[in-house]
Amino acid sequence: MIRRTLGRLCLLVGLMLVSAAQAEVLLSEDEIARALSHGPWPPAFEPDPSNRVSGLPAAIALGEGLFSDPVLSRDGTMACASCHDPAHGFAEPRARANGKVLLDRNALALVNLPAHRWFGWSGDTDNLWAQSLTPIVNADEMDQDAAGLKQALVTSRWADDYAAVFGPPAGQDADDVLVNIAKALAAFQETLVTGPTSFDRFRDALEAGDLATAALYPEAAQRGLKIFLGRGNCALCHTGPAFTNGEFHDAGVPYFITETRVDTGRHGGLEALKASPYTLAGPYSDDPEQQGAWAVRQVRPLHSDFGTFRVPGLRGAARTAPYMHDGSLADLRAVVRHYNTIDMERLHADGEAILAPLGLSATEADDLVQFLRSLSDDQP
Amino acid sequence: MIRSLAAAALLCACTAAADAQDLPIFDAHIHYSHDAVLQVPPDQVAKILREAGIKKALVSSSDDDGTQKLKAAAPEIVVPALRPYRKRGEISTWMHDPTVIDYLEDRLSAFDYEAIGEFHAYGDDIGTDVIQRMIALARERDLLLHHHGDREALDLIFASWPEARVLWAHSGFARPDEVTEALSAHPGLWSDLAYRSDMLGSDGLDPEWAAAFTAFPDRFMVGTDTFAPERWYYVASHADYSREWLALLPQDIARKIAFENAEAMLAAE
Ligand code: HEC
Ligand code: HEC
Ligand SMILES: [Zn+2]
Repeated sequence: MIRRTLGRLCLLVGLMLVSAAQAEVLLSEDEIARALSHGPWPPAFEPDPSNRVSGLPAAIALGEGLFSDPVLSRDGTMACASCHDPAHGFAEPRARANGKVLLDRNALALVNLPAHRWFGWSGDTDNLWAQSLTPIVNADEMDQDAAGLKQALVTSRWADDYAAVFGPPAGQDADDVLVNIAKALAAFQETLVTGPTSFDRFRDALEAGDLATAALYPEAAQRGLKIFLGRGNCALCHTGPAFTNGEFHDAGVPYFITETRVDTGRHGGLEALKASPYTLAGPYSDDPEQQGAWAVRQVRPLHSDFGTFRVPGLRGAARTAPYMHDGSLADLRAVVRHYNTIDMERLHADGEAILAPLGLSATEADDLVQFLRSLSDDQP
Repeated sequence: MIRSLAAAALLCACTAAADAQDLPIFDAHIHYSHDAVLQVPPDQVAKILREAGIKKALVSSSDDDGTQKLKAAAPEIVVPALRPYRKRGEISTWMHDPTVIDYLEDRLSAFDYEAIGEFHAYGDDIGTDVIQRMIALARERDLLLHHHGDREALDLIFASWPEARVLWAHSGFARPDEVTEALSAHPGLWSDLAYRSDMLGSDGLDPEWAAAFTAFPDRFMVGTDTFAPERWYYVASHADYSREWLALLPQDIARKIAFENAEAMLAAE
């Protein structure tokens, strides 16, 4: 039995070698140059200057422990991991997250977070610890307050670990304890980086001029990549190594929440950001130079903000269905179908002028899906 | 002395705020298209407009049915304009489609309008038979033209009909100095500021725009541009945003841009 399977495996490997020998790189010079801009991957770790425990092993361990512990929620029933499931790429399979009530949005996947300048679908925050603090105190989610959190921490099994990183909590202001906990959670989440995939091996081989290795990348994925870079215009928003420009766009997804309520997207996000004490320009940042604070100081509301959402990164996305801010698209095939038949009636004539129905054939749509999947075939 | 100055300053701020809140607005760039009609019913739209303090609105829809439904729900607000589209998707093809003229003629004989538009046309699109015929229809009835497009097209509209009154949508997305240049070239031109946010910079009113408003206080107006159904829920925020930057202008200019210019444009001969 085992032997027979082995024999079949050998045959398979043999076939793959033959077809690999015949395979080739389908990209033009120009496409190769553009493909190179989506790497190298993963990026080198750089500590977050606004978070003094960023990169600190003890803080990372504390953050990892707290992430899965419902002790952070007022009634002890909800952990970060309740909505950000490590087995689902740190997102979850339901379309819209369920807190105390059904929330308005799909839980974002918590990977490759240092690639972002703004956090959440609408950029309510400009740093990871502020975004990590939000669900703890949100009445519709973990419903805690600073005093309650401090009390819960002191009596929890994390008290000593916390003290080892931040000093004894007893003498600390409850607000500072809240921010410290958020910073430990951020330190942990910064380590959640997707690994190199078949796309990266292709890209690195192209960079090294090793066409033989590059040609091992399936032709369907290569054809999909060509659409992604060219006709699809995908790479105009899904840019760079993390496949996101980090900004807010209208991808033609409806944004009604109920019949009489809409998700205002970046419009509301900017209002929340401007009202937040937890920005890079605020007193809770640990960075005396306030690097990056220029963004929150300078950003101005635009009429085009309304109903725009942050461009998601695409690495690991194959693991985190469903898609879009409201989880309205069930799988990657549905996403490609969305772009393929995008409703121009919804877009402003001078807004996202780069989106238009693509008219991809069924095979081309499959190719594009194959390419997207090749951004998620790392070993998580 | 110092104290009374401070008090005076405070008083000013208060009156300005109170004024800002009830500053009546003429929203010169509203659409209520077929998808919006289904998702945000006319009564709901009328309520949104009234609560936002929008006293009048230049409404054009693809298809025109939306405008008529909204006019029935809010007759005191709606100033109807006829769009040459049955679907928004016709934005770049309509000028090559002769059935557009049949549609315009049918609607013009069945309902009352103050304007034709908002229509999209660039460069020598204006020379097409469909657009020339549309301009002739407007001329026969002395209707305003609400044009979305570039300066070249704008000039060609005035070349076709020198006495035209034209409202330049989004002021052509041109720079303030380009807009003022167009306004001085064409006395029959007004400028809507819809979907533009460049009037307000991080240090207050943009100086170039401020200069344009001062040079042509009678020619600018605001508009929301409800191009997708969801954007109806932006109308109130947009009105507040307009009041915010208008409050940085002298009060008489603010009132003109907020409301009076649009009324004067419609009444102009
Ligand atoms: C009830 C479900 C739920 C819980 C519990 C929850 N989240 Fe989230 N999380 C979400 C949703 C939904 C979003 C998207 C929110 C938005 O865009 O406004 C999100 C977004 C985020 C983001 C933004 C990611 C990005 O790419 O910008 C971070 C970071 C995050 N959560 C961290 C946490 C942490 C840390 C905890 C625990 C303290 C937590 N979340 C608890 C549902 C949840
Ligand atoms: C105009 C910018 C823009 C372009 C062009 C664009 N996207 Fe997107 N993409 C976005 C935005 C914004 C979202 C989130 C939209 C939302 O949630 O409403 C998104 C979402 C996605 C998602 C879902 C990811 C997730 O985690 O939910 C995928 C997959 C995706 N895009 C792939 C593509 C592909 C493939 C193309 C080309 C056919 C493309 N995008 C073109 C801006 C863009
Ligand atoms: Zn318009």
